[in-house]
Formats: sequence, structure tokens, C-alpha cells
Amino acid sequence: MLDDDLDVYIREREGVAIIDLIGDVTTFAEEKITNAYNEVSRKGARNILLNFRQNDYINSAGIAILIGIVTEVNRNNQRLAMSGLSQHFQKIFRMVGLAQYVDIYQDEDEAIQGFTAAMA
Amino acid sequence: MYDPSISSSIDLSIPSELGYERVVREAVASFAHRLGFATERVEDLKTAVSEACLNAIEHGNAQTPGLRVDVTCVWDGSGLTVCVQDQGLKPYSGHVTPGIEQRLRGDAPPRGLGLYLITQLVDACGFEPSPGGGNVLYMCMRRCPRA
Repeated sequence: MLDDDLDVYIREREGVAIIDLIGDVTTFAEEKITNAYNEVSRKGARNILLNFRQNDYINSAGIAILIGIVTEVNRNNQRLAMSGLSQHFQKIFRMVGLAQYVDIYQDEDEAIQGFTAAMA
Repeated sequence: MYDPSISSSIDLSIPSELGYERVVREAVASFAHRLGFATERVEDLKTAVSEACLNAIEHGNAQTPGLRVDVTCVWDGSGLTVCVQDQGLKPYSGHVTPGIEQRLRGDAPPRGLGLYLITQLVDACGFEPSPGGGNVLYMCMRRCPRA
């Protein structure tokens, strides 16, 4: 088996729940990402940032997981943003339409500024 | 000295097991780099090839142990054609599923974006008949980006 290697960490910064996704985002990532989202939601997060790092491989199964998160975010009236994506995956996310529903930032600092501006 | 103006090819065969698409992805990327493809084109090709292999593993071969996915990459001097063949346990309709709006509304399953991505990332693609049965998806990419 060639299981994918994804590490998921949760932290908080300036009122934003940050979920760090380090590694590959594929079908194997579903449980880790969903659990992280559920955990920050249980703690009352309104603003959530999926912070991608060193993601060499995000496939359509991984994108499907993210679409599921967007669905939940909309249902729960939360705000979701993404940062740290490579230029290629930013293009892919625009291609599939995810960028219409999620603010995509170059990096974490820019995303935090975006959340702060939206909250002001 | 390697001369990319002459034709050349590579053949790969992988098990129908999730994760092996990454092996093909890296091999095809390495081949394309060697042929002088720009980095952005290689990234597009990597994603397209991964998705084609994923479809073959999950759909065409239904992740059946013992069934193989065969990949051929042929360079003709100006472009690369990658063919991904499965055993055709489930035939493809070639239908590209709808966009994200339907998925967010729950009117379409979240999966199934692979074929759509492939159509967007390569210069030409489609299914071709296979004498021995099975699905054969071909993808063509020229070395120079589209204008």
C-alpha cells in the first residue's frame, strides 16, 4: 500500500482557527481533515483557515473532501479561507470552482488580514 | 547526449491500488522534464495523469487485486501522448460531471471531478476503443503552451 502522508494540526491565531495540512491531500486524508474541522467547530470557530503546506499532491478525491467542508461551512454559517497553495493548485481550485466559495490567499499572514478586515 | 527531437516512449504497469498513481505521475513528470516541457506544463500533466490513473484504478478496474493499469507515453518530436488503459470492469460513458454548484447543493456526488480536470489541463483527450476490451483514455500535450 502507498498510503498518503498527511499531518494535520490545529491552532488559533487572532480569532481564526487554523488547520495546517502538511502533506498529500487525497482520499486517505478524509478522516483527518473532517475530524479537524469538527473539532474546531465544536469549539465554536466562526473563522477557519485551511493552511496548506508542502502539498505536492492534491487530487480530485482530496478536492471532494474540501467541497464537503465548504458544504458544512455554508450550513454552519462559518467563514472559510485557504492559504499556502502552490500556483498550480490555486489554478486547479479556480478551475473546479472552489475559489468562488472560498477566499484563497497566498499565505497565512495575508489570510489573517483578510479575516480581520471582514470582521471589522 | 539525449536528443528530444527524435521519438521515444516509456511503458509502465501498476497494480490497481490507490497510491500507485503517484508512481506514474512522477515517472511521466520526469520524462516530460527530460523532453524539455515547461514546469507549468509538467504540473498540468502530472495532475491529468494522476486523475486518469485514479479513474482506471477505482472505476475501470474497481480496485480489483491482480488487475493492472497500463500506461504508455509516446513522444513524437513535438508532443507527448499518454494512454492509460484499464481492464474495463466498468466502462466509461465519457460523461464529464457537472460543476461545484450541484455538488454543494447535494445534487451531485462530491467525487467525479477527475475527467473534468483532465479535459481542462491537456490539449486533447478522449476515449478510444481497445481491441482487447477495457477503457483507454488518451491525453495529448504539446511541448509549447497553448496560445
